[in-house]
Amino acid sequence: MTPSYQPDGMPLLDVRDVTVRFAGLTALDGVGFAVAPGTVHAVIGPNGAGKSTFFNVLSGVYKATSGSVRLDGAELTALPPHRVAALGVARTFQNIALSRHLPVVDNLMLGRHRLTRAGFVSSGLRLPHARREWARHLDRVTEIAGFVGLGDRLGTPVGLLPYGVQKRVELARALCMEPRLLLLDEPVAGMNGGERLDMAELIVAVRESLGISVLLVEHDMGMVMRLADRVTVLDFGRRIADGTPEEVQRDPHVVRAYLGTSPDQEDM
Amino acid sequence: MSDLHETAATGTEARAVAVRRRLTRPLIWVAAAALAIAVPFYLEGFWLQTGLFAMSAAVGAIGINLLTGSTGQLSMGHAFFLAIGAYAYVYFSADPEQGARQALGGLGLPTPLAAVLAVLTAGVAGGLFSPIAGRLKGAYLGIATLALIFLGQHLLFNATAVTGGYNGRAVPPLHLFGLTFADTPALVVMDVPFGALERLWFLGLLLVLGAAAFARGVLRGRPGRAMNTIRDHEIAAGVMGVPVARYRAGVFVLSSMYGGLAGVMLALVFQRTVPDYFGVFLSLDYLAMIVIGGLGSIGGAVIGAVFVSMLPQLLTRYSDSLPLIAEPGSGGVSPAEAARILYGAAVVSVVLFLPGGLAGLFARLRAGGGGRTGRPARARGLRFSSSPTPTPSPDTRS
Repeated sequence: MTPSYQPDGMPLLDVRDVTVRFAGLTALDGVGFAVAPGTVHAVIGPNGAGKSTFFNVLSGVYKATSGSVRLDGAELTALPPHRVAALGVARTFQNIALSRHLPVVDNLMLGRHRLTRAGFVSSGLRLPHARREWARHLDRVTEIAGFVGLGDRLGTPVGLLPYGVQKRVELARALCMEPRLLLLDEPVAGMNGGERLDMAELIVAVRESLGISVLLVEHDMGMVMRLADRVTVLDFGRRIADGTPEEVQRDPHVVRAYLGTSPDQEDM
Repeated sequence: MSDLHETAATGTEARAVAVRRRLTRPLIWVAAAALAIAVPFYLEGFWLQTGLFAMSAAVGAIGINLLTGSTGQLSMGHAFFLAIGAYAYVYFSADPEQGARQALGGLGLPTPLAAVLAVLTAGVAGGLFSPIAGRLKGAYLGIATLALIFLGQHLLFNATAVTGGYNGRAVPPLHLFGLTFADTPALVVMDVPFGALERLWFLGLLLVLGAAAFARGVLRGRPGRAMNTIRDHEIAAGVMGVPVARYRAGVFVLSSMYGGLAGVMLALVFQRTVPDYFGVFLSLDYLAMIVIGGLGSIGGAVIGAVFVSMLPQLLTRYSDSLPLIAEPGSGGVSPAEAARILYGAAVVSVVLFLPGGLAGLFARLRAGGGGRTGRPARARGLRFSSSPTPTPSPDTRS
């Protein structure tokens, strides 16, 4: 799986001036940044900063009131979610959105939806090409499950797996879409220390072995600072900082947003 | 639900169970097939007719279970599509006639062609409704489809040239491969006179098996995964690349075609189409079937269909020996009313105590008895809104 995009200075994802308003509430206000190909980019911010809204705009769930989001030059803002997915954007959810009663393998096969063709008739009649397609994609799904560390869980119903493993299933399902850009919505929320480390390693592996660009929303600062090549900070729907983890950590606006205002910082 | 789906037993035990199942499965199938084939030779017409109604209901219930159980889209309009199937078959196959009071139209097509066209017509009717079926979700679709019932009733009573109005129409018997599915010409097989019901019995069995096999293929394949995800997490489905509206519309059409086939079967068994039958109560019966049998499960749809369609028949037949049930028309609780009360109670108990329906109950019994392993019970419809199972609802918009 070689990345279809070669780094040449042009961003993979180019977000410009995105504004989202819900009846009187401005959730995002002129947010813009760029994700370079093959990098891990983090979006952080206090609760209610607009991070999840932003993810929903990127994946087509919400429509931006104004602004533009381009993936490799293709405009995403007017597209419904399945068309965004078809362009190579995959995402996971903050709260697990898997089919609990189905085994892991069925959940992962859903990720192959846009790469497969079998419809009602060919599936209902079990036509040979539908079966061949299934077998072919099952191989790839098994491979991805192995990569994510779910190789021995394929037959287990998702609802029986521990929370941390379910989060991995979510990530694996997104990888099964063979995305160019992977959006991770709080990938380690609610995990214990060991699970956090495993997940962080996995994210690094996704970037390095699969060459997929990762955009993640996360509250765990330690993880963000370790993983991210670049960080964008949102507060009350505005971008207040953007830079490398070191730059952002030193940024007075960021300190103020996270720790509150002190009088001598008022004029900054 | 973890009691339903235990994790795979390991090693030798799993292998032993697998071997046992590989041996017992075919035996069960052979026994069931032998039983089903023997029925027309031993049981009288009443039982055959009841069984055929159950078969028709099973096909219809599999269809609505694809829509409601597996995709989470409520439909109150299933009876409408049964009516389309039944009346379309009559219209396509009957010869036009000039009656004393009204002229009845008909195309006089060969009956197997008429049956296929009737199913397709039901699909087209579902397709015409699909702009609505694709956009509305869950209970909202249920309300919208209620309109179909009233539309259907109006058409059935007033489009007399096609439907025969209040009196309905006689259904031309099916001719297939030189065999006529009627009482004449007489046919005797192994000293048993084979009338319409006996002949239809085998056709009905084949149709139910075919309908179930097709639905199973759909559910286990790519469309089934998309449908389940639309039911469980609509937003996730879209984000994973599933065109949600198109799938909802597609499942609605498929479900309509199942309804249409059920309608054709019903017409052939009943030998007369009557408009009253295709009312809102029939739609409710279908919802009761899939809730009682098990939402999202094909076996459940069949079990529920047998339960709901046989109950009134049995109560009618044995009304004189059952307490509290009066003869129809004598003022007491009629068998039909008693049946509705009984399965109303069954629906409530299933929703409260059996989240997987009867199919889920059987799966659980088998799991308790035989150390069931591997794939979980395919009782997938547990998450329809009435389910008491607490599930994390993904607040993806937070």
